[in-house]
Amino acid sequence: MTTASREKKRGWLKEEFGNPERRTAYYMVLPALLIILLVAVYPVINSIWLSLHQATITQTGQFVGLENYTEMFQNEDFISGLTNTVIFTVASVFFEFIIGLGIALAINQAFRGRGLVRAAILVPWAFPTVISAAMWRLMFQDQVGVINYVANAIGLISEPILSDRTLLLIGSILVDVWKTTPFMALLLLAGLQTIPADVYEAARVDGANVFQRFFQITMPLLKPTILVAVLFRTMDSYRVYDLFWVMSNRQLESLSTYVYKGVRISQLQFAQGNAAAVFIFFTAFLLALFFIYGLGMQTSTED
Amino acid sequence: MTEKQGQSPETLSGRRMNRRDFLKIGGAGLAGAALLGVAGCGGGGGSSEGGSGDIVFAMGPDTSGSLQKLIDKFNKENKGKYSVKYREMPTDTGQFFDKIRTQFQSGGGDIDVIGGDVIWPAQFAANGWILDVSDQLPDNERNKFLEGPIASMTYEGKLYGIPWYTDAGMLYYRKDLLEESGFNEAPKTWDELKEMATKVAEDSGTKAGFVWQASQYEGGVVDGLEYINSYGGKVLDDNDASKVVIDSPESVEGLAMAASMIADGVSPQAVTNYTEQESQTSFLNGEAVFCRNWPYMYALVGNPDESKIKPEQVSVAPLPAGSAGSVSGLGGWNFYINAASQKTEAAIAFAKFMAEPAQQKYRALNGSFLPTLKSLYEDKEILDAVPVIALAGEALANTIPRPVSPAYSDMSLKMAEQFNRAFKGDVSPEEAVKTLQTELQQIADQAS
Repeated sequence: MTTASREKKRGWLKEEFGNPERRTAYYMVLPALLIILLVAVYPVINSIWLSLHQATITQTGQFVGLENYTEMFQNEDFISGLTNTVIFTVASVFFEFIIGLGIALAINQAFRGRGLVRAAILVPWAFPTVISAAMWRLMFQDQVGVINYVANAIGLISEPILSDRTLLLIGSILVDVWKTTPFMALLLLAGLQTIPADVYEAARVDGANVFQRFFQITMPLLKPTILVAVLFRTMDSYRVYDLFWVMSNRQLESLSTYVYKGVRISQLQFAQGNAAAVFIFFTAFLLALFFIYGLGMQTSTED
Repeated sequence: MTEKQGQSPETLSGRRMNRRDFLKIGGAGLAGAALLGVAGCGGGGGSSEGGSGDIVFAMGPDTSGSLQKLIDKFNKENKGKYSVKYREMPTDTGQFFDKIRTQFQSGGGDIDVIGGDVIWPAQFAANGWILDVSDQLPDNERNKFLEGPIASMTYEGKLYGIPWYTDAGMLYYRKDLLEESGFNEAPKTWDELKEMATKVAEDSGTKAGFVWQASQYEGGVVDGLEYINSYGGKVLDDNDASKVVIDSPESVEGLAMAASMIADGVSPQAVTNYTEQESQTSFLNGEAVFCRNWPYMYALVGNPDESKIKPEQVSVAPLPAGSAGSVSGLGGWNFYINAASQKTEAAIAFAKFMAEPAQQKYRALNGSFLPTLKSLYEDKEILDAVPVIALAGEALANTIPRPVSPAYSDMSLKMAEQFNRAFKGDVSPEEAVKTLQTELQQIADQAS
């Protein structure tokens, strides 16, 4: 290291710790950092470590390098979990965004009973996922399930929904859209309300039509909110577990159910389950990085 | 993870790291960290308090109330010597198993005796977690119990538990509808069942002929194995539990019979997502002629809140036979002693006490728990009070346990998947058993 850079570094340190206010700030986040180190960083590193070994629940076992990962990618259940998760994530987030944006635009307008509508759309989101999953399972079911009955009666499908993996996956996407669109709508609405009305007025005076106003004003100004909302939802969908587990009665595989089966049910797949957990972690991490750097998401309000 | 960020941030961002970037990546990292599921490790020290005869008994919730009464009786009879405390475990068998396993892994825990599922012993025994009780039940004692429960606890020639109560798959049928169509007794074979179910359902306008458990779960494994075993198919070699022999013409025949139930319309297509719950709903609503279920359902038939049909419309029979006879899947619960317990004497005394005829009879009369002692199947009082025992004692005698293997959990996951696929017709029975042969053998090899 050259003297110059060392000096520069010292300057950086001085800037950070020389200022008493900053120093206090560091002291105040220190306990939180330590807890994170203990409950987040340590388990993550430990999982990575275990995923490189012939680990069982009781022993770390022999070091095997990436063998668990290569085996995992040859595992049919993992592949189906991965495909289901990716399809589920892309489809549900896409529909939630489109519908959520529509709802947000609609309830952003002043109309009678707006407060009531805003509260009412949150109802599905307020249900715990397991409850809504169990409820929808009943509706999809062949004995008392109204949806299964109607879909079969009008000839949309010709088999029980719960017996078919593809229909189950489509069903899960629909349930997720039903459940979390309100959340998306609410986030987007918050974003919409930060756009000042005079920008629209000015545009209208300049003769911009409704589409121009939407694409030239609303969308660009809403972009930061959209990115945050979509990232949240993507992360959430990507780790889908309870919805699949309960609604399909453990038949539909996702990445998370694969991990659970590996580390909790199976006696032999512990290491592979760990490898899958690490895989979820890194892919989710990459996704977050993509949002931040690829799409230019703002992570702080410092500019 | 943070290590990586700290060491080479340049590679991540392509430029010099400043504080904001660090926060950005850190934030993303934390968001990611929240997604990472790691196996929790439950604690539970080995320190137990109380006198040398104070033991902890772990078992799922007992809604009948008979369990606590018997524990009180034991404590009273052994006052000053032994004392048992009941610790309630989760209702869900899987969660119960998981909890116990976690305790064992962390060094034994403070539970001395477990009231556990019949599929557990080999998995515990292979790890040395439960006590070999062969000496406690010599042959003349052992012969007094039903063979199924004993077989389910026999691993590598040793006995790892004391039998408690049992369960067996049986065939419920609508006596009234069968009579209307001119049938006077239950079907003896699967082929007969198909014929009768089709005719009776048609004659009476009943929605389904036969409902059972074909979903992808433990219950689907039990049902699938009943078909396979009734044609003489086996999962593991009788003499060598590490050898998988499921790929046989007999297994194919059994699975083919199961799949044909759905393919030929005897069972509704939806049966492939039925568990006990759905089959029960269907049968008790009068929407099915036949139903394969456990003995518990008989008590529900008499309950007008649960059932639209009446007990006099229903009868119970052993499951139909394949070419190798009638076979029922074995369920039930037995006592396992924690090998790390310091108080095995008290634990064994308690388990043996509970297995005695008087206590088994009490549980049969107060809760309809099916005894594991053969002699109680001739007890007039029990037969009168619990009709299902009188009606299907034969089924209870023909039980076959699920494969006794230290890696049963893994095998079950695979069987559940392949059986369900075969039931649906997504794969042929031949393919299913071929796949299972490879997969299960791999598991067996890995386990040993």
